[in-house]
Amino acid sequence: MPATDVDFEREFEELVRDLRALPTAAPTSVREHVRALGEPARPRTLHDLLLTFSSRRSLLVLAPVCVLALVSAAVIHGVVNSGGDSRQTAVAVHKADAQVQLGAPGGEGTATTPWRAVTGAPVAPSLPTPASGRYQDYEASLTVRVKNVDALHDRTAEATRLARTYGGYVASVDESTSGGSGRSDLVLRIPVNRVEDAYFRLAQLGTVTEQHLSIRDLDQVVGTQRRRIVQLKVQIARIGETLKSSSLPADVRLRLELQRDAAKQELAQVTGSNKATLREASLSRISLTLTSQQAAAATKGGMSRIERAARDAGSFLAGAGAVLLFVLIVLSPLIVLAMAWILGTRAYRRREERRLLSAA
Amino acid sequence: MKAVNAVTTSWPGLRVDRPTFSAVAESELDAVHRYLLFLTGNRTVAEDLTGETFEKAFRIWRRFDPRRGSPRAWLCGIARTTALDHFRSEERRRRREERYTRDLPDTEESALGPGELETALGRLSAAEREVVALRVLLELDGPTAARVLGISTTACSTRLSRALKRLEEMMRDARN
Repeated sequence: MPATDVDFEREFEELVRDLRALPTAAPTSVREHVRALGEPARPRTLHDLLLTFSSRRSLLVLAPVCVLALVSAAVIHGVVNSGGDSRQTAVAVHKADAQVQLGAPGGEGTATTPWRAVTGAPVAPSLPTPASGRYQDYEASLTVRVKNVDALHDRTAEATRLARTYGGYVASVDESTSGGSGRSDLVLRIPVNRVEDAYFRLAQLGTVTEQHLSIRDLDQVVGTQRRRIVQLKVQIARIGETLKSSSLPADVRLRLELQRDAAKQELAQVTGSNKATLREASLSRISLTLTSQQAAAATKGGMSRIERAARDAGSFLAGAGAVLLFVLIVLSPLIVLAMAWILGTRAYRRREERRLLSAA
Repeated sequence: MKAVNAVTTSWPGLRVDRPTFSAVAESELDAVHRYLLFLTGNRTVAEDLTGETFEKAFRIWRRFDPRRGSPRAWLCGIARTTALDHFRSEERRRRREERYTRDLPDTEESALGPGELETALGRLSAAEREVVALRVLLELDGPTAARVLGISTTACSTRLSRALKRLEEMMRDARN
């Protein structure tokens, strides 16, 4: 049984007293030698203070400091990255620019004006008014998120009804559901003069997460077609007048008849193209996508700023953890070797001490 | 322990009262000498090592941190390292010069002393003598003594108990 502080004093009382009575004071020569040393002259430096910290104490201080620094960095990263509504501002500016372009007179050729492309974030539905008096190919796409699959079905039916209400029709419908999510793709043709109202009604079917508009000016195309039609009609009339004459040689008559037939054929073709262009300009094309996917709600834009900050901070910490894990894995052989070396050295030193003390 | 003069370190946030080296040396000299005397079992060697210990302590005094232990324990740690270095060099010397016998210190009159207790102490191993010195003479508590020796508190208590029993038996035999 090991002796405690009190035990050995009591158990070996006489022996302890004798041991303490032994003449063990340092001789005068040693005392004078030590006194002669005096006081260390150099004051303590920071290096000296650092040396007083043991590795265990340093670890106890450094580990929480590192964790705190990492968490702080993650929070700062999250807050900075979550940002404000800068994207919304950028979109608004983009929209304003687009409206200025659309309002510009005499759009030449077939210029395409992409108006807006936003993904994920709920956006306020808005649409530039079609330019009156001009022929334009007006295409819009709209992605709307609805509550669930039941709502998806109802909204699809409502969109179809809306298209008819505004004098248009449904060019195609593609509705599919899978589990708790679903998607419905519709192509609606709406008269251009009523597209604005229809667009806003369609946007009210749910939460708009994406919208895009493309306007192609068709004025020049229609003008070219019309001029060609007039030219062809004039040509056909002239050939007809010439063919009325009875003095024409047979070969000339045949050539003119062939020219008239070719002109009539081309006239029919250009007239058909012109009708198609005018039809295109009179009906807008709205591609409507209704979705009930929950994943859409989980996109960055659908979160509050605090949620985004928390998610970014978490991502940062996860990244830092992955890096630390990687470093740990890479360095693990060295760490194991270092630990083995430290433990081995310590064991060797203790054995050496025991041996020296037993030999002394 | 006697009261010692103290100074305060100049580093803000790390302010701690440190005794002066000369004050510590004055108050702890006998304790260190006692320890080394028991550890080496030789007065002459103990005196030399005591001087050497304080010279070392003088050189590294700036590293002493009173919050981590008493000056006595710190000095005993230095003394022990000094003594082990001495044993190591002695062993090398003996190996080189085989003319010198291993028991050379015992032939000197100044080992521990002529009395029964001193003789009995001489028969203990150095490890046993040093634990007796630390715990009985220097009155260090169990954990501090264990830290100086680099062993666990339990091992320290066991070694002390065994040393004192052996010493008592030897004294009883000597009286009988």
